[in-house]
Amino acid sequence: MSFFESLFGKKKSTASVAKDRLTIMLSHERASCKLPYLDDLRNDLIAVIRKYTKVDDVKISSHNNQTVEILEVEIVLGK
Amino acid sequence: MGIVITVTSGKGGVGKSTTTANLAVGLANLGKKVVAIDFDIGLRNLDMILGLENRIVYDVVDVMEGRCNLAQALINDKKSKSLYFLPASQTKDKDILSKEKVKALIDSLKESFDIVMIDSPAGIESGFEHSIFLADRALIVSTPDVSSVRDADRVIGIIDAKSERAKNGLEVEKHVIINRIKPEMVDAGNMLSVEDVLSILALPLIGIVPDDEDIITSTNIGTPIVTKEKSLSAEAYRNIARRILGEEVEFLDIRTKKGLFATLKGIFK
Repeated sequence: MSFFESLFGKKKSTASVAKDRLTIMLSHERASCKLPYLDDLRNDLIAVIRKYTKVDDVKISSHNNQTVEILEVEIVLGK
Repeated sequence: MGIVITVTSGKGGVGKSTTTANLAVGLANLGKKVVAIDFDIGLRNLDMILGLENRIVYDVVDVMEGRCNLAQALINDKKSKSLYFLPASQTKDKDILSKEKVKALIDSLKESFDIVMIDSPAGIESGFEHSIFLADRALIVSTPDVSSVRDADRVIGIIDAKSERAKNGLEVEKHVIINRIKPEMVDAGNMLSVEDVLSILALPLIGIVPDDEDIITSTNIGTPIVTKEKSLSAEAYRNIARRILGEEVEFLDIRTKKGLFATLKGIFK
């Protein structure tokens, strides 16, 4: 960034935009990639749930907030 | 017993085969017995980069299927006598490899070579899985752009899941090679820097290769650039080869050497 541009507050360099976009995108992608058993787990869960209900889909999502990692399983029983 | 080094990237066109060729020649010139294998079934390319395309009789699938023996398929390099090459098959059936056959081949190569270098295909399909399956080390090649870094990150995330080492409780040793960096664009804030890429990928660096037109001309004539004197990119490859063997080599200063005019321009810009 040149002297005048820094004086008048120039827009961010394209490299730092690229870095920010990548950092955000990868934090999402890594979460799903880190649990390779997620698909198998989901299929097993569906098999068990179907023994008792007519539900044939469950939503699994993973979050983490610095200290703990959470696996959220959502079973919608219908209206 | 030799070690297996897989060169991979996720994204295509970032310089995997060029890197494999140059490091294979570089390691051979350091006195190691090296075999370079092209695992890109159906899209053979390493042969032309090494300049050995006219000497191919059999390929890696011929060996695995028992149509020839290993010695018949191995091609000795023209200049580096301790370098051998095993070409990919040009068959359209890319699922022709099987884990058992890959293992049998690699195990027998490990007995007679110090280093088995595998040029992995792009993508994360079965060809990639076979190329990483028996790797002791992985070199992840990335150019400093968003698609390449993103794909490299994905590949890094699945290397251990697909490797035999991980099943035995060990890790595949992973390093990053940053390829085709343009120092003047990094200086201008228009290209991700080495530090940016490393902080995203969170892996140790083993080499930085500057963008260099001479790499294109050396590929044109089928002579890997690594042997060239007074070339920054050749020196970068030579240094990576030495680092692979455990030597500590300082990273090159690839910043552009500014002339007086450019320096003045920099002041007044």
